Amino acid sequence: MQTNFTTKQLQNPEIAIANNILRTCVHCGMCTATCPTFVTLGDELDSPRGRIYLIKDMLEHDRPASEEEVLHMDRCLSCLSCMTTCPSGVDYMHLVDHARVHINETYKRPLTDRLLRDVLAQILPYPKRMRAALNLARLGKPFASLLPGQSMLVKRLRAMLNLAPVKMPVAQSLGGTVHKAIGETKGRVALLAGCAQQAIGPSINTATIELLNRLGIEVVIPAAAGCCGALVHHMGRHEEALQAARRNVAAWSDGPEFDAIIVNTSGCGTVLKDYGFMLRDDAMAAKAAAVSAKSLDISEYLLKIYQPSQVAPAITVAYHAACSLQHGQKITSAPKTLLRKAGFNVVEPKDPHLCCGSAGTYNIMQPDIAASLRRRKLDSLKAKSPDVIAAGNIGCLTQLAGDNVPTVHMVELLNWMAGGNKPEALNGVNK
Amino acid sequence: MLQSKPKLNVLEKRAEIIAGLKAVLPERAVIGDDVSLKPYETDGLSAYRQMPLAVVLPENEAQVVAVMKFCHLHGIRVIPRGAGTSLSGGALPLADAVVVGMMRMNQILDINYADRYAVVQPGVTNIAITQAVQDEQFFYAPDPSSQLACMIGGNVSMNSGGAHCLKYGVTANNLLGLRLVTIEGELLEIGGKHMDTAGYDWLGLITGSEGQLGVLTEVTVRILRGPEGARAMLAGFASNEVAGACVDAIISSGIIPVALEFMDKLAIHACEAFAHAGYPLDAEALLIIEVEGSDTEQTEMLARIRDICAVYNPVSMRVSQTAEESAAIWKGRKGAFGAVGRISPDYLCMDGTIPTSQLPNVLKRMQAMSDDYGLKVANIFHAGDGNLHPLIMFDANDVESFHKAEAFGADILKLCVEVGGCLTGEHGVGIEKRDLMSVQFTPAELDQQRRIKTAFDPDWLLNPSKVFPLSGLSAAA
Amino acid sequence: MILPDTEEALAAAIRGASGPLLVQGNGTKSGMLRPVQAAATLSTANLSGITLYAPNELVMSAKAGTRLSEIETALAAAGQQMICEPPHIHGENQTIGGIVATNLSGPRRVTGGAMRDHVLGVRAVNGSGEILKFGGRVLKNVTGLDVAKLLTGSFGTLAVMTEVTFKVLPVSEATGSIVLRGLDAEQGIAALSAGLGSPFFVTGAAYLPALQQAVLRIEDFATSVKYRTEKLAGQLSAFGTAEILDTDASKALWRDVRDCKYLDIAEAVWRLSVVPSAAPAILRALAPLGVTGFLDWGGGLVNLTGPADQATHEAVCHAAIAAGGTWWLMQAPEPLRAVVNVVPPEPPALAAIRARVQASFDPRGILNPGRLRAA
Repeated sequence: MQTNFTTKQLQNPEIAIANNILRTCVHCGMCTATCPTFVTLGDELDSPRGRIYLIKDMLEHDRPASEEEVLHMDRCLSCLSCMTTCPSGVDYMHLVDHARVHINETYKRPLTDRLLRDVLAQILPYPKRMRAALNLARLGKPFASLLPGQSMLVKRLRAMLNLAPVKMPVAQSLGGTVHKAIGETKGRVALLAGCAQQAIGPSINTATIELLNRLGIEVVIPAAAGCCGALVHHMGRHEEALQAARRNVAAWSDGPEFDAIIVNTSGCGTVLKDYGFMLRDDAMAAKAAAVSAKSLDISEYLLKIYQPSQVAPAITVAYHAACSLQHGQKITSAPKTLLRKAGFNVVEPKDPHLCCGSAGTYNIMQPDIAASLRRRKLDSLKAKSPDVIAAGNIGCLTQLAGDNVPTVHMVELLNWMAGGNKPEALNGVNK
Repeated sequence: MLQSKPKLNVLEKRAEIIAGLKAVLPERAVIGDDVSLKPYETDGLSAYRQMPLAVVLPENEAQVVAVMKFCHLHGIRVIPRGAGTSLSGGALPLADAVVVGMMRMNQILDINYADRYAVVQPGVTNIAITQAVQDEQFFYAPDPSSQLACMIGGNVSMNSGGAHCLKYGVTANNLLGLRLVTIEGELLEIGGKHMDTAGYDWLGLITGSEGQLGVLTEVTVRILRGPEGARAMLAGFASNEVAGACVDAIISSGIIPVALEFMDKLAIHACEAFAHAGYPLDAEALLIIEVEGSDTEQTEMLARIRDICAVYNPVSMRVSQTAEESAAIWKGRKGAFGAVGRISPDYLCMDGTIPTSQLPNVLKRMQAMSDDYGLKVANIFHAGDGNLHPLIMFDANDVESFHKAEAFGADILKLCVEVGGCLTGEHGVGIEKRDLMSVQFTPAELDQQRRIKTAFDPDWLLNPSKVFPLSGLSAAA
Repeated sequence: MILPDTEEALAAAIRGASGPLLVQGNGTKSGMLRPVQAAATLSTANLSGITLYAPNELVMSAKAGTRLSEIETALAAAGQQMICEPPHIHGENQTIGGIVATNLSGPRRVTGGAMRDHVLGVRAVNGSGEILKFGGRVLKNVTGLDVAKLLTGSFGTLAVMTEVTFKVLPVSEATGSIVLRGLDAEQGIAALSAGLGSPFFVTGAAYLPALQQAVLRIEDFATSVKYRTEKLAGQLSAFGTAEILDTDASKALWRDVRDCKYLDIAEAVWRLSVVPSAAPAILRALAPLGVTGFLDWGGGLVNLTGPADQATHEAVCHAAIAAGGTWWLMQAPEPLRAVVNVVPPEPPALAAIRARVQASFDPRGILNPGRLRAA
């Protein structure tokens, strides 16, 4: 596709990269078909091709982002389904990242919007703050439906309350811990313990560590490592994201080399794998590239070493592919292969490529679209009559919870069949 | 590209018109600000661009009628748009026109297996019809390469083909009925759910009329039961000419495969990088040949085809063994145009059809033109029916390169007409080939077509500046 | 009778015409639809001969007055055939121009498409005497408005076709049929629908009420035909034990279906196009009026015959419309054809457009006036 940047503009390396991405796009429109927001809203402006065009125009004219551009960019889930579909190999992810930074730098959001974003950015990445906030939210949960009005703010608050768990799990603080292998030590890995996950899904980390230990792998969670930075990254808060990346790269590069950096929250995994790009001009560039190269989703890592130790009950598992896994990291078959190896009957919903609407904080910031995508995904999953829905990303699990079918991280199922405890979520399932 | 002159009285009243549209449509269905209109300035042929006056996104037939009545009353031009995947600029706006986007009318209304039809809204994608009926092993046959994204309304308007139309026909052969809103806002019901219709073949006339006669609001298509199975084979050859001769030999033998596709070396490499389908990278030309039936039937048919191919000393022959392999082969072919985006920043996709016996001759002459113009051309086409898709590669950021590509494209199409073919086999005339129409038609033939348009659209408000050359327009209108 | 020998002469005749012209080939279809009141007859009978035949490109061109029999003979010599199998219900003098102008198709229409689906191009002279060509000789062509389709089935009311080009296909190596006996119309249509909904690519599906038989055809390589007829018979076993016919018996059977030999022709003949599931009720509803018939195209084509009176005609038309379908009065004494609708009336919006389209071809209204509808 033609672009109209001046020579001077192109001297800016960021613009040069954006130009290269835009030049790859041939405007064929294939991406529109698999974009959850285009399918839901039916407007070119809410499709990847439309957004690419909006970004192109905004960057070419080097003008501040307008309300319309922000609206359509905010509606993008960053599910990256478009990148799976694109025949031309357009790097949409880095283009939309660039646009978000541009928006963050040039657009002044309405006050309530700004406050909410600040609050989320100040709470979610920090497990203790998150826990405190969730406890508060739990108290407010029964009143969610009583919040008056249909303004976006009210809808967002309501969405937040609805997402809070009914029962608060036991606190988890894994920073600075080392978990020895059971038996002969065959490997040593770092685990990204996650931020929100420690607060709302501690059983996932527990199962991950137990399973790896059982398979002879030592698991280290360096004290200095923390939130991956995805949340602020997707808000266009470039500096904050880079800080998170630098801190983690330093933490994982310190001391004896790890065999791998394991991620059991695929939304974070996509960002870890991008540290190399994010810090490409940084003093830590080489280390960041090495961290990205070593980052593996738990399913990738388990593929070669996983062995179940017991016979699985006749449970039907509907595998929900998290976008960050299937599109962001192009991991499509490993989780299903593992679940089948564990002995489960694995089924998949119609339109597996479509996002469930979780997408980080999307279900809070875009409650209407998120709710519609959630409904669609749950309907298609339930059409396959599963006993349980399994995914590899805490965000999806939270989004899909509360609709009669239990949701569980697939690593919990794998750990169960390797000798671990039955996942708590499955207590009602007797087979 | 020359456009008809915008109506000043319409441009001047833009704010009023947008307000008027908002009065007859829900607020969310009207787009009127310049930032938001920008992505609507072009379609699948991004070399041509024009900002529209406004865009409307109706959600039902009543809203389409309301828009048409409003536009007719105020003398406003209307550009129908589906998914915006046209490769001929069929949905290119005009400065004084309202784009009517049908993307929100995307419901499947009725499916009947006993009588074998499906009733769908125009914004349903081509593949969504097949997906809706595939649990019963049925499918909707026409399969344009953009089938993932392109919408049935656009398919009808362009009479889209696809790789499998060698056996199953193009869109026109797979339709039963339409609902169409005229520029006056009148609803016409054409055909129905039965096969033949008494009176003039309006269904045939409207199919492929490129939005010149009305705006579609409902389409009834035939659905077919799929075969027991299908398998594709790949045959690589040492030259384009040899592959072309092999195509001729297959058809002459009395075998009509379901699909018979051709790719040259550039295309093979681009598609392989995208689809990893195991295309032979050492071949100069590749045929993808698909057959259907039971396993035994497929094997027997493929054996016959292999025997024919063997005469032409193929550099490789491979029969896909699994459904996944076949899927990868087709993924490469169907993503071919986009995949060329990996080896060239821009391309123009031509769409002429030639008599199949002319394949070797035309391929040779096209190569000579490519050398003359200094522009590379990748060839991807439906060989079984002679529908060529030369992709001329150029750099849109280099004006001279673009003009050369346009001229090269025009020369290819003139060549197609010269050897007994036509300008466009399935992409439509649109804006792109409009000025070449006089190569294929005499003034009297063009005038007859213009008069038919006038019968439907007396004021030429529907998708003007497309299909018919602007010169001579006043004579008919 | 004006019998031009060349296209130019035909154009000159139209330009020179001072009043309405009855346009025909050999006039074998003059009993269809409405009679034309014209002082002069313009015939394409002398524009005859195959002008292009490229078997390896699956294409043939012939002048409009070429006899269908001549075309079928030439095709058969090269192992090919007309895809839509035009019926030979109007004797052996019918021309290719007549088949195209009336869009008449036989049994293979059900999956292979109608005459209109295979017309690739036409040359024609409009009412102003302009020689025009639309479409071409290639298999895929969307250049400009599809006027070739508009002229197909227009009964010579828009322009006089002088040459047509159409797609052809190889004759299959073998033909097989299965015959299911003792079925009523509902069961028969259910059997045909099941067959057409099977993966065996059925190319003919008819129900013969008089014999209480449902018949289905498969055409392909010999081994495929054997395999698929047997599989299909198995799949349809719920409808009884099928008899399987070999190539010769099949060809004879489908020739008879094609030529409406199962219609015990009375005074009037109608053709109805409806959804297959509606056909049995139509047969039943019209039986008390002395109307009988048989079903082709899986039930989608209802061939009927019965008394030629206005009441019966209206009942037939009503049955077609009530089923959401359409009808043609194929044959009836002239007095009836002159006073009734021979095809369904048009809604006003479409009628206005039709009149303008007609005038765009034939501003003087001299080509076959009243052939489709009273002027």
